[in-house]
Amino acid sequence: MRLELRNIVKSFGEKKVLTGVSFEAESGEAFGLLGRNGAGKTTSIRILMDVFPANSGEILIDGQPIDYDKIGIGYLPEERGLYPKKIIIDQLTYFAELKEMSRKAAVQSIDYWLERLDMTEYRNKRLDTLSKGNQQKIQLITALAHDPDIIILDEPFSGLDPINAMLLKDVVKEQIAEGKIVLFSSHQMNYIEEFCDSIAILNNGVVSLHGNLYNIKRDYPRDRLVVRTEAPDAIVSDFGSSCTVMESGDLMIRLADASEKKAAMTRLVEHYDIDEVKVFEPSLNDIFVEYAGDAVKEG
Amino acid sequence: MKEFGTILRFELKHYLKNKVFIGSTVFIMLLIAVVMFFPRISALFKTSDASADVSVMLVKVDDAVQADMVRETFSASFANYDVQITDEEVSKIKDKITSGDAECAVVMTGPASFTYYVDNLSMYDMNTKIVTGVLQHIYQMNAMIKGGMSVEEITDIMSIQIKSNVESLGKDQMQNFFYTYIMIFALYMVILLYGQMVATNVATEKSSRAMELLITSAKPTSMMFGKVIASCIAGFIQIVAIFGSAFVFYNVNKSHWEDNMIIESIFNIPLELLVYMLVFFVLGFLIYAFMYGAIGSTVSKLEDINTAVMPITFLFIFAFIVVIFSMSSSDVDNTLMTVCSYIPFTSSMAMFTRICMSTVPLYEVAISIIILIGATVGIGVLSAKIYRVGVLMYGTTPNLKNIFKAVWKA
Repeated sequence: MRLELRNIVKSFGEKKVLTGVSFEAESGEAFGLLGRNGAGKTTSIRILMDVFPANSGEILIDGQPIDYDKIGIGYLPEERGLYPKKIIIDQLTYFAELKEMSRKAAVQSIDYWLERLDMTEYRNKRLDTLSKGNQQKIQLITALAHDPDIIILDEPFSGLDPINAMLLKDVVKEQIAEGKIVLFSSHQMNYIEEFCDSIAILNNGVVSLHGNLYNIKRDYPRDRLVVRTEAPDAIVSDFGSSCTVMESGDLMIRLADASEKKAAMTRLVEHYDIDEVKVFEPSLNDIFVEYAGDAVKEG
Repeated sequence: MKEFGTILRFELKHYLKNKVFIGSTVFIMLLIAVVMFFPRISALFKTSDASADVSVMLVKVDDAVQADMVRETFSASFANYDVQITDEEVSKIKDKITSGDAECAVVMTGPASFTYYVDNLSMYDMNTKIVTGVLQHIYQMNAMIKGGMSVEEITDIMSIQIKSNVESLGKDQMQNFFYTYIMIFALYMVILLYGQMVATNVATEKSSRAMELLITSAKPTSMMFGKVIASCIAGFIQIVAIFGSAFVFYNVNKSHWEDNMIIESIFNIPLELLVYMLVFFVLGFLIYAFMYGAIGSTVSKLEDINTAVMPITFLFIFAFIVVIFSMSSSDVDNTLMTVCSYIPFTSSMAMFTRICMSTVPLYEVAISIIILIGATVGIGVLSAKIYRVGVLMYGTTPNLKNIFKAVWKA
């Protein structure tokens, strides 16, 4: 399955929120939707979920306009919240039933997920008796219980302890393996980097960068080397101003051109005691800063 | 439709499982039971009271000749008193009253004047009025006897009974007043109470951010109609429970209420009016509940609810006041009422009152109901739109202008 957003435009009154958002996501892969606060991520998600219509643009599934009766969407909103005063199983069943499940199937699926997320003991408790992290796990069930085709997770890892984060990672990997489209929206770049094959960076209502994360990184000019060594001083004096010491203690060597890469690497390995030398690839964080910042080239 | 059913069931359960809802309903039912059983219970105490002493009323007459006649007439008029004729000094009579030997005394100071002595003058003491009547009667009799009429003739003349017969060609306002009043009051209470509940319910979902999920799971129209109709059913269940228990308890104690016209009239509502009551009740309820729901969706914090719903509450109180004043002035067909009975926000109360207490042509009723149905559906759809826009607006409480602007643009 292939989800495609084409040239989505949305404005609220005078305020233009989206001025042409397009991206694609394949099933069986995780997709990262990035952008600064107010870039239009939530608006894009809401349009995708049919909360309100776009002014123009299309949402396609395998080339056909999306049919919300057939395509199930699971959503973990960034603003977490369920009914604090209600019994967990009651409200989870309610949300699953709203997603067109029968009561029996809903209860069955919820019991599976409570078990899977290690939450069975809270089944008949009120939500507000749970800790924040546990409430979040309950909320995750609302996004998964009805076995949706598209899962949208907005900041799924915020507020989770490392063990729960690991549990969630496993669950997400399972879902991706099942062939679902998983859409991530997060500011925690390490998670996006770990999960997402493709990303789209939103900036001021347009997609400023979009594509396969590996390819994006490959496409950066390969004219910088990262060198880890026990004796940096000799290298610094050899390469002069093109060599800087990074925060990590590693050295960064800026080449005049990418074609000098091989010669420089040979020279380093032959003359100095090198632990590691590699071509510098920008982290997602670097890419994000470059494409989501204010002074961005339209792309 | 399945979505609507799910929401309706969930919301209804929310009311019916609510401890406050159950508690208040049971409390009111118990209160009604106490009221309805009151005559029976008080009757039980009365029978044991029968042997108690009858209070003494002393009467001092200057003219000893008339003593017998005075005593007879007084005894007849004051069945609750042991009337004793006395010729003691006034000071002694006063002593007797203060010591408690007698409760009160009437001392004649002339053929047409008297002094009434009593220890503590109760607010409801009607004795002086009765005595005045009795003395007037005696004076007239004496005068007629002096004029040469026989006692029989005089008795005939004095005890003439006038027979009257009232035939109301329209509505009997006296009889209808009470149940109209009760119905209007019930409508007033239920709408204010449940309107607030709907608004709070929506605002709670918004402030707890359950809305983020709801809005992506269900259509706003289903949400709005599900919530409002659930509250309507809950309100209706409560009313049926309260009035139903009143009806049952009344029938259990019917023999003890025989002489109470008001209660009798309340339980004798004609079926036709009951149907009108149902129609106006449901429509009036819905139109306000929709508005309350829409307002609830525009506030971000629960604390802001009370100020936000104020305009609606004022509108409703205005309608209530117009109706109640018109009712007590017994002119329910005045211009204001006629106008109000077509405006959908006031017609549920105004038109119902007019139907109950006056004669309204059927076509006027039909027009009013059609306008009301149309407006209810319209407000329902509009409120669902406001809801969809409102629930996603956080931060500043938007004013009406902004809301309509957003609804228009969405």
